[in-house]
Amino acid sequence: MKAFGYSQVREPAEAVRAARQTPGAAFIAGGTDLLNLMRDGAQHHDHLVDINHLDLASVADSSKGLRIGGLARMRHVAEHRSVRERYPVLAEALEASASPQVRNMATIGGNLLQRTRCGYFRDAASACNKRAPGSGCSALEGWNRGHAVLGGSEHCIATHPSDLAVALLALDAVVHLLGPDGPRQVPVDGFHLRPGNAPHVDTVLRPAELITAVEVPRPAARSRYLKLRDRATFEFAVVSIAAVVDLRGGRVRDVRLAFGGIGTTPWRSPEAEAVLRGAPLTVDAIERAGRALVRDAVPRQHNGFKVELVQRALVELLSGWGGSR
Amino acid sequence: MNDGLVGRPVMRVDGRAKVTGAARYPADDPVPGALHGFLVTSTVARGEVVGIDKSAALAHPGVVAVYTHADLPRLTVPTFPYIKGFIPLQGTAVHHAGQPVAIVLATTVEQAGEGANLVRIDYRAEPPTASIDDAPQPPHLPKPFRNRPNEIARGDAAAALAAAEVRLEARYSSPPRHHNPIEPHATTAQWDGDSVTVHETAQGVNLTRSVLSTAFGLPPDRIRVLAPFLGGGFGSKGPVWPHTILTVAAARLARRPVRLVLTRAQMFTLTGHRAEFRQHLRIGATRQGKLTALVETTTAQLSRTEESIFNESDSTSTLYDCPNVHIRQEGVPLDLASSSYMRSPETTAHFGLETALDELAWQVGVDPVELRRRNHTAVNQETGSPIRGKRLLDCYRIAAEAFGWSRRAPRPGATKDGDEYVGWGMATEAHTFAAAPATPPVTASVTIGADGRAVVRIATQDIGTGTYTVIGQIAADALGVPLDAVTAVIGDSALPYAGVSAGSATIASITGPVDRAARAARDAVVALAVADPRSPLVGVPAAEVVTAHGHLFHARDRERRDSYRAVVGRHGRPVETTGTLLNAPGHSWGAVFLEVRVHARLGSVRVTRVVTAHDLGRVMNRRTARGQVLGGVTWGIGHALMEHTAYDRSTARVVNPNLSTYLVPVCADTPAVESHFVDHQDPDSTALGARGFGETPITGVPAAIGNAVYHATGRRVRDLPITRDKLL
Amino acid sequence: MPEPSRPARAHTRRTVLKSTAVTAAGTAFLPAVARAEPTALSRGTIAPGESAEITLSVNGRDRVVAVEPRVTLLDALRERLGLTGTKKGCDRGECGACTVLVDGERVKSCLTLAVMRQGSDITTVEGLADGDRLHPVQEAFIRHDAFQCGACTSGQVMSAVACIREGHAGTEAEIREWMSGNLCRCACYQNIVAAVADAAREVRR
Repeated sequence: MKAFGYSQVREPAEAVRAARQTPGAAFIAGGTDLLNLMRDGAQHHDHLVDINHLDLASVADSSKGLRIGGLARMRHVAEHRSVRERYPVLAEALEASASPQVRNMATIGGNLLQRTRCGYFRDAASACNKRAPGSGCSALEGWNRGHAVLGGSEHCIATHPSDLAVALLALDAVVHLLGPDGPRQVPVDGFHLRPGNAPHVDTVLRPAELITAVEVPRPAARSRYLKLRDRATFEFAVVSIAAVVDLRGGRVRDVRLAFGGIGTTPWRSPEAEAVLRGAPLTVDAIERAGRALVRDAVPRQHNGFKVELVQRALVELLSGWGGSR
Repeated sequence: MNDGLVGRPVMRVDGRAKVTGAARYPADDPVPGALHGFLVTSTVARGEVVGIDKSAALAHPGVVAVYTHADLPRLTVPTFPYIKGFIPLQGTAVHHAGQPVAIVLATTVEQAGEGANLVRIDYRAEPPTASIDDAPQPPHLPKPFRNRPNEIARGDAAAALAAAEVRLEARYSSPPRHHNPIEPHATTAQWDGDSVTVHETAQGVNLTRSVLSTAFGLPPDRIRVLAPFLGGGFGSKGPVWPHTILTVAAARLARRPVRLVLTRAQMFTLTGHRAEFRQHLRIGATRQGKLTALVETTTAQLSRTEESIFNESDSTSTLYDCPNVHIRQEGVPLDLASSSYMRSPETTAHFGLETALDELAWQVGVDPVELRRRNHTAVNQETGSPIRGKRLLDCYRIAAEAFGWSRRAPRPGATKDGDEYVGWGMATEAHTFAAAPATPPVTASVTIGADGRAVVRIATQDIGTGTYTVIGQIAADALGVPLDAVTAVIGDSALPYAGVSAGSATIASITGPVDRAARAARDAVVALAVADPRSPLVGVPAAEVVTAHGHLFHARDRERRDSYRAVVGRHGRPVETTGTLLNAPGHSWGAVFLEVRVHARLGSVRVTRVVTAHDLGRVMNRRTARGQVLGGVTWGIGHALMEHTAYDRSTARVVNPNLSTYLVPVCADTPAVESHFVDHQDPDSTALGARGFGETPITGVPAAIGNAVYHATGRRVRDLPITRDKLL
Repeated sequence: MPEPSRPARAHTRRTVLKSTAVTAAGTAFLPAVARAEPTALSRGTIAPGESAEITLSVNGRDRVVAVEPRVTLLDALRERLGLTGTKKGCDRGECGACTVLVDGERVKSCLTLAVMRQGSDITTVEGLADGDRLHPVQEAFIRHDAFQCGACTSGQVMSAVACIREGHAGTEAEIREWMSGNLCRCACYQNIVAAVADAAREVRR
């Protein structure tokens, strides 16, 4: 790791100021991804502003919804009683993430900002447009079993690794930011950017901007998270689905579906939702929704199975919805 | 002997040290003034270093030195156990990505790491080849490695295959894999004049010593290698690797002690691996499933500098009765690091053989266990001599009964439980264990002090298998003292000679010498007692003295007693004896039966129940033996279901050099394992009837899983790992 | 929660506003967490390449150590404080061998900077036993042969202590899931599960 400077801050405004005024500065909270990115040479910062002492770690639930501080730890959120009762997709996605140790360390804000685990991005000696713009994408013709089938470009097909972001996307959550120009809000839907011609830009976050909170409207419906991987646990998703389904009298009144592992960003599928909205939740309808989801999929040499798998996973998750689960 | 410690499930004597963090591993030993070393490794896989700029690294605070091929003295390339063919930093050629091209020394570990990042290397690069599929040249038969031929022919396999009533042909394959012990490889070198002490993560302190002796042209007695504990090796710390030599060389140049710890990513290119492997198997059999011909051609990845093949086809050649066998172990040189031994090297080809037998069993309509019984051999297929003390048939019976095999559904795909298909599979397990060669002889010493305590000294290692504990058991029994009166001192090349802890050789090689040395010590103390007028045993014939619980008794008059402590105390100086005893290599066998559940829609495979039975001769310690079974089963699960090193086809770099994308089983992947042992004394073993065992319990597991997946789903997967994409 | 709640301590923590490394950039300030002088923190800055003396509370003792900001808690423990019971397996949070307790919670010490852990109570495997009396988890690991080589054992033991404390040791399946952040390549998992279940019963008693 290259040497870097370090300071601590006490107030959000002070944090933004410090990040803006210190050349090459970045925030460090949990550090669970940032330190590996710096070890891997995927990122370097001349200075880290330690924001762990900011008062942004609380979780509060009201009739309007849930407000999660940007510095709330994953475990803290997953264990929160309201989260478990009213936002189970969130608790399930969090507890399916990483390891118990990392969930004690990593924050909600940091989780949204974690970067792809693409092996080429994490290898400073490999070509990667996300890490070194213009150097090329090694994954297109390389080892791409873990890569995206949706939302890719000729410059990048890396997946976003967050489970939390997938759940928040299905919940229509909003990210609260504080930057040099003051506070602003960005829906999670749109927070992460597809690679396009600029795969090195992951999110809409501006320099020195800080995630202060995530607001989650209280869903009127039940929600669940399904995560598939190559070992039992402690692994990033091969395919994951967050579903919020309002089922009345056997018909889908409303549905929100978000997917992990298949897209270059946490992936929302309005097409699949449209198929299901108003329809009875039959296997046939779910299969049609699955086909709508993958209509524009671009499989590569090793990841083609995800196209089939995600459709099956959708059936798995939704076909039991009307039952006792 | 009946109430002895050998055979009992004795708790590990080093347990307390390990659960309190007190056990000092080679990278833990404090070495005052040591610099931290860090390797700069090649980003290209094939080509040449054409320029090196050290200036930025040398300007980094704390960086003391940067050494390249221009700085290092010329060293002699050792042969086995150095399986590399070349020493890095001796020239400019690059043979694989991740090859060391410079070593940086700095005051702190952080400075060394950043110093390494700052060394600028310019290469002339050529396009590399990283996969057997991409190799421009056809596979060839490499020259024998360590005198083991790569072509084995018995009878007339081609004719027998042509004439067979039943024929089966299949191709099996497995990807490259890495050992990934939790403890990274580490070397700390400290020179004192022309002598060097090396704290090394070594499975064989004497192997490290011999390699360093050759490389540096130093007499072995100038080199001391220490490895009192080892944080797992699985074969990766048996051979000696470049970082060890480079660290010792750097410490000599810098005139300072140097500690170097490999990063996890470096362990994917610098410490060996199980090579990418292909197997083409043709089987001839009778309609009753009796083998008449086995024709096998395997293809393994080789490197540009080393053509080593690691007896993958052992099982095909030796496990079953078959008069006509033709095996060719071929290889293809690729621009990758040299492969090496990895726990149970035969696991790759054993998977194909045991899968093929399952396929044959379905083909001829014979139960897979019965098919294996029909092909059981009581003679060594290679030498024709009888195998004494083989209890493999007992293993089939015991494990099948415990598992409930007779209740197996007769058809594939017939059993479903909820969303999952349930399948049962089995396979034979087998491994040829090594024993240390005759020269130099493996020797143990036993010293009885005036306190009556015994110290056993031998330059073996405890790689986690329980060597400390078993040495204690053997010596305590032989001496007739309590376990806590014995201290084992191991992991130091200055001790009486022993070989490598690999090839399941440790118990087979050291048990006899330790037992002999301890018996000699007992006899010596008895002789002192019966000749000592101050002893109550004076005048008693030595043959009539028995020992137990630290005391010496007259066999027929228990009131006449003395103690080790008293006898040696009166003697006034310690009693020291040595022992040596040769043993021969042999085999340990077993059977594994298991259940898998395959999700009908999602293709995920879970191993939910495992029953094993093993014949390892005498079981020295049931706890530690069971540990090897648990480890082996889990390694088999990893091998069958997830482990896979991915090389980029255009750069030949490892794409997943970490433990989040090179998957090894976690706790939640492992089922309960019921393990049985056929505990008996092997008449041909000089190790108190015990055999080497640690590698046997992996061998059959991958095939048993694949066979169970077939039974569950009717899908036969011949290309490992069995990931869900192959079952959708 | 800017300040993790922690039990009152018998001794007084002192802020050490002294830098050990003086570079061309000037003297570095020390951002030690000092309850009495919180403002010192926000001003305290360590420049790149500089070391600062920080105080870490490890196993109930305050230990002063000079580190650059890039030094992880793991390397501070192993390389500076000689606490080599905590192991480095992967140095990227993927094996769990470096697990320690920080303010009672299990964390991976390779994924956090030492400078971020000033003012926290750190417990390593060396600090678990009460004198000669082993912690019930340590006893259970020996009893159930829950290790072979021992390289992951410190991390497993620390993780198990927290797993039980968190209430995640109710069933075997739960233990398997909640102990899966710690790899054991010797694969003593079944014995680890048995040890954790056994120790959990003992701790609850």
